[in-house]
Amino acid sequence: MTSPSRTMSNAAVYLGLAVGAVITLVPFGLGLLTSFTSARQFNTESPLSLPSPPTLANYTGLADAGFGRALVVTALMTAVILLGQLVFSVLAAYAFARLEFPGRDALFWVYVATLMVPATVTVVPLYLMMAETGLRNTFWALVLPFMFGSPYAIFLLREYFRTIPNDLIRAARVDGASTLDVIVHVVLPASRPILVTLGLITVVTQWNNFMWPLVITSGSQWRVVTVATAGLQSRYDGQWTLVMAATTVAIVPLIVAFVALGRHIVSSIVVTGLK
Amino acid sequence: MARARQAALGYALLAPSLFGVVVFLLLPMLVVAWLSLQRWDLLGPIDYVGLSNWRSVLTDSSFGTSLVVTVLFIAMVVPVQTALGMFAASLLARGLPGTGVFRTLYVLPWICSPLAIAVLWRWILAPTDGAVGTVLGQRIEWLTDPMLALPVVSAVTVWTNVGYVTLFFLAGILAIPADVQNAARTDGATAWQRFRYITLPMLRPTLFFVLVTGIVSAAQVFDTVYALTGGGPQERTDVIAHRIYAEAFGAAAVGRAAVMAMVLFVLLVGVTIAQHLYFRRRISYDLT
Repeated sequence: MTSPSRTMSNAAVYLGLAVGAVITLVPFGLGLLTSFTSARQFNTESPLSLPSPPTLANYTGLADAGFGRALVVTALMTAVILLGQLVFSVLAAYAFARLEFPGRDALFWVYVATLMVPATVTVVPLYLMMAETGLRNTFWALVLPFMFGSPYAIFLLREYFRTIPNDLIRAARVDGASTLDVIVHVVLPASRPILVTLGLITVVTQWNNFMWPLVITSGSQWRVVTVATAGLQSRYDGQWTLVMAATTVAIVPLIVAFVALGRHIVSSIVVTGLK
Repeated sequence: MARARQAALGYALLAPSLFGVVVFLLLPMLVVAWLSLQRWDLLGPIDYVGLSNWRSVLTDSSFGTSLVVTVLFIAMVVPVQTALGMFAASLLARGLPGTGVFRTLYVLPWICSPLAIAVLWRWILAPTDGAVGTVLGQRIEWLTDPMLALPVVSAVTVWTNVGYVTLFFLAGILAIPADVQNAARTDGATAWQRFRYITLPMLRPTLFFVLVTGIVSAAQVFDTVYALTGGGPQERTDVIAHRIYAEAFGAAAVGRAAVMAMVLFVLLVGVTIAQHLYFRRRISYDLT
């Protein structure tokens, strides 16, 4: 098996993969190092010299710039949207998958059709709607457009719920379980992988969301991490050590989550097709 | 369960998500169509102006520029990320020991906030104290040179997306039955012949999916452009999504932004419908 040519080609594969890994990781590594470099050292020595001594001054600088609040707002926003999307998507998907009522299929196609509505197109009208209802620059403006479930999650969950054996649900029914009991005790435990996947996708999408929070909030009260990072970059253009601390704060929580659950997500991205 | 009760339950379970779909997805489509006929500056009254926004946008060179920039951006990003993704997947598909970790590594940029990624690259590419400039020992205006800006923004986007694209090709390659490859190998097909006549044709559905989703998402790029170039220099990176944002929230010409949003919508629906037509007619490889 281990002929010289096979060994050579395996070495070439490893080399190719390693080059890809270096290109992927180096920008992250440089940003991280710079975030621990003092502004003084960054300006007087080469921008690429190792931090000596490493300093947390940039991170305390972030705290002074109101990043703590931005983190809390972002986490709250993500949590509320996550909870709402999961609960309301599960309820809707159960109705579409397991109940019969007039107009069900027509309604389902309406949901599917809305998958074609791009966020870029709805930003301007949503802004008008929020302004008219006095919700501009409120926490509700951040979460309302996303918290009532996502047609995409409903579509995937419906497919999944349809594969749950009927006997399982009938057995619970015979034991006198209500629909809510069936959902909580039978359907949800059987759907854990897809729920984890959808939850992670929601967290990634909402944590990273930028355009909507950018237009609908102003000032520091409801500023999220992405908007705070962009603001910091334009306000302190050139103060790269501080700005790199901001990008690190914006990036690291998701990388940690991703590496912790990595295998799971990687295979599920393909199952679900997109963010 | 009685039919009437089941129907009532069905509507009750649907109620919250239906509210969301109607109010935050369908209603905005009507509002954007209506707004395209109004004049509004974000603060003052809203006035009906008929088709004048449509006339001004469609005869305006800045919107034409944005369309061209967006098409160029798609043309630079999508083929490159697709080719690199396919190549990386073909390396990963060998299944050599320890290569699983690369799969996870390559997706990292795609998981991260595009805005933060763009700010990171803005430093890396900064002319005087950026990483690339320091290594090269040479000042290059990556983001402010009119000839360089769009290719550089495209390159950063490719860097972000390659790992994601790789996942789909990897799944596609691994789904090809080993028998087919082995049979070709027994018949003396070279690695290139096996790729060209087996892997590539059998990856056609994956390839098409990756191309279409790549086009749809590249057509909407915003965060990366906002943080890297702000649409400049000389509007050379002023993609449609950024133009819509700048019209509505920079120039306070909301009616014009609504027109542009509708044009973008029609173009994206066109791409999606083309995708469905293709998938209906696509050649399927039934090997059972």
